[in-house]
Amino acid sequence: MANRTGTIAHDLGRMLEALAGLILISVLIPLVWQEWWVVPGLIVSGMLPLLVGFGLSRGFQGADDPGRLHGMMIAASGWFFVAVFGSIPFLLIAWTARLDPSVLEVPARFTTGGTRTFSTLAAFQNPLNGFFESMSGFTGTGLTMTDNEAALPRTLQWWRSFIEWVGGVGVIVLTTAILARPGSGSLTLYESEARSEKIHPSIVSTVRTIWWIFLLFTFFSILVLWLAGMPMWDAINHAMTGLATGGFSITDNSIGTYNSIAIDFALIPIMILGSIAFPIHYLILQGDLRNFYTDLQTRWVFIFFAIGTLVLTATLFGQGFYRTETIAFAGIVLQGQAATLFQTFRYALFQFVSAASCTGFQTAGSLGPGWTAPAQLTVTFGMVVGAAAGSTVGGIKLIRLLTLGKGILFRIRGIFYPSSAVRTFRLDGRALSDEEAAQEFEEAAIITFLWLVFLALAAFVFMLALPLGPGPDAYTVENVLFEVASAQGNVGLSSGITGPGMPTVTKVMFLFNMWIGRLEIIPVLVLLRGVFVSLEVYE
Amino acid sequence: MQLEDIPVIGSLLAAGADDHVFDALLVLGPVIIIAITLLGRTRASITLAVAYTVGFSVYIGYKGIRRTSVRKT
Repeated sequence: MANRTGTIAHDLGRMLEALAGLILISVLIPLVWQEWWVVPGLIVSGMLPLLVGFGLSRGFQGADDPGRLHGMMIAASGWFFVAVFGSIPFLLIAWTARLDPSVLEVPARFTTGGTRTFSTLAAFQNPLNGFFESMSGFTGTGLTMTDNEAALPRTLQWWRSFIEWVGGVGVIVLTTAILARPGSGSLTLYESEARSEKIHPSIVSTVRTIWWIFLLFTFFSILVLWLAGMPMWDAINHAMTGLATGGFSITDNSIGTYNSIAIDFALIPIMILGSIAFPIHYLILQGDLRNFYTDLQTRWVFIFFAIGTLVLTATLFGQGFYRTETIAFAGIVLQGQAATLFQTFRYALFQFVSAASCTGFQTAGSLGPGWTAPAQLTVTFGMVVGAAAGSTVGGIKLIRLLTLGKGILFRIRGIFYPSSAVRTFRLDGRALSDEEAAQEFEEAAIITFLWLVFLALAAFVFMLALPLGPGPDAYTVENVLFEVASAQGNVGLSSGITGPGMPTVTKVMFLFNMWIGRLEIIPVLVLLRGVFVSLEVYE
Repeated sequence: MQLEDIPVIGSLLAAGADDHVFDALLVLGPVIIIAITLLGRTRASITLAVAYTVGFSVYIGYKGIRRTSVRKT
């Protein structure tokens, strides 16, 4: 027991040290934007995890390397505490504005009550709201407690984007890349963070290559968005959160604020980049472009996105939701039905790719109350499924559904063969033995089942806590399913439920959904079992 | 001099795809972003951004074509 605690505490300490580095390096942002008043809060926010992390990692320096059990418990507890400590900048900056010490000269818009700017920042005086924002950021969810993102201090806009960017790749991947740990411990931790694919034999080299790819794509995405018409600050933040498929925005109405066809279309490839597994990116960057269609998951990312977009376009076109008289794009003017079809396709493409890539950017303002139930459920299905494992997305992942689908067909076809027939199950070009095939089915079935169980549990809690039915302040069942799938799939699209005013029980439920969604459930259940056994609540 | 010997970003560059063009794009990325931020939206800054993004995309295509032709021969 003591050994287990030491191993977990040591690695937790290293993760908190890495988090402290992220906070302290972010001090550059208020210096650039001359937001001097947030600097003390940010430095204190960085010093706290640094001291705790230093104490833990040095105090348990001689701890054993983590095994599989430790790895899962470290991943689950690490993500939890990183989200806890990552919420301190929200809390301290909000309380700095509240206390308004004269020496710091807090701008009046943050201290004068009754305005939207004031209430946006004041929401983070409640530690639960800051924790929600931090968990949403690190898990790449993008649901927010912010009423108006544009009103936040630039430093908090950056912090939200930065934690999504880091969380997209993974907190453990970051820690492993910076504080390279020799031996097998790094692999165990890497696998506990919902990753399995390796680019190189060494896990430290693999995570460094992942960061190399991620940085290169980030710079590319920033420049693409700037060329599409975004201001540079907006391009930096949206490139980070788009590539990480996180979805935090720095504008009030997400990407819909720009109302720009060029920006909508520029973000599509960025979100798709985030939906493809890093090992495939590596092969493509080496010139092996065949992976776009030879790799099972990557091929299905495109097929799934295309089918979902077509279904959503047909549904919304049938509803006539985006009826448009005239629209001009790239020098071409469309009118009548052609304009309506283009406008519908534009919103459907963006929203389905945003949902299935688990990004959560929104261009359709009335996505929740305005769209029909079939349209909302199409997007919900995209959020539940997600895209490629080994990328930055959430959801159940395409490979699991493909495994289950192919496995079911394999079993059904087997009935038509004689019992003596020798049959081979093939998945992604691999011929699997009976044992391997059974293991793949089992893993895919367990995760999918648990995913749906927790989805149902959260939906039940929300239906109890929220007003349901017709009426201006009530929500429908599809609104609830949409929001819950969005939280657990780490997507961030909202039908309007999430906000600082939602009941506390629903905030806590969503914190749990986001946490298990990012780690693919099992590590969190392992941690909770360990805690309950330690407390003698469960044997 | 090895890539690992470059201060601060050496180990990151060494973890890349063993390609000097991509390494150069990685190093130039932040420099161009800072330059564009300082210049604002001018003809020069747009040219810089277009050169970077088009260069990046075309180079991936070029590597793909070259690899395919090598495989065929």
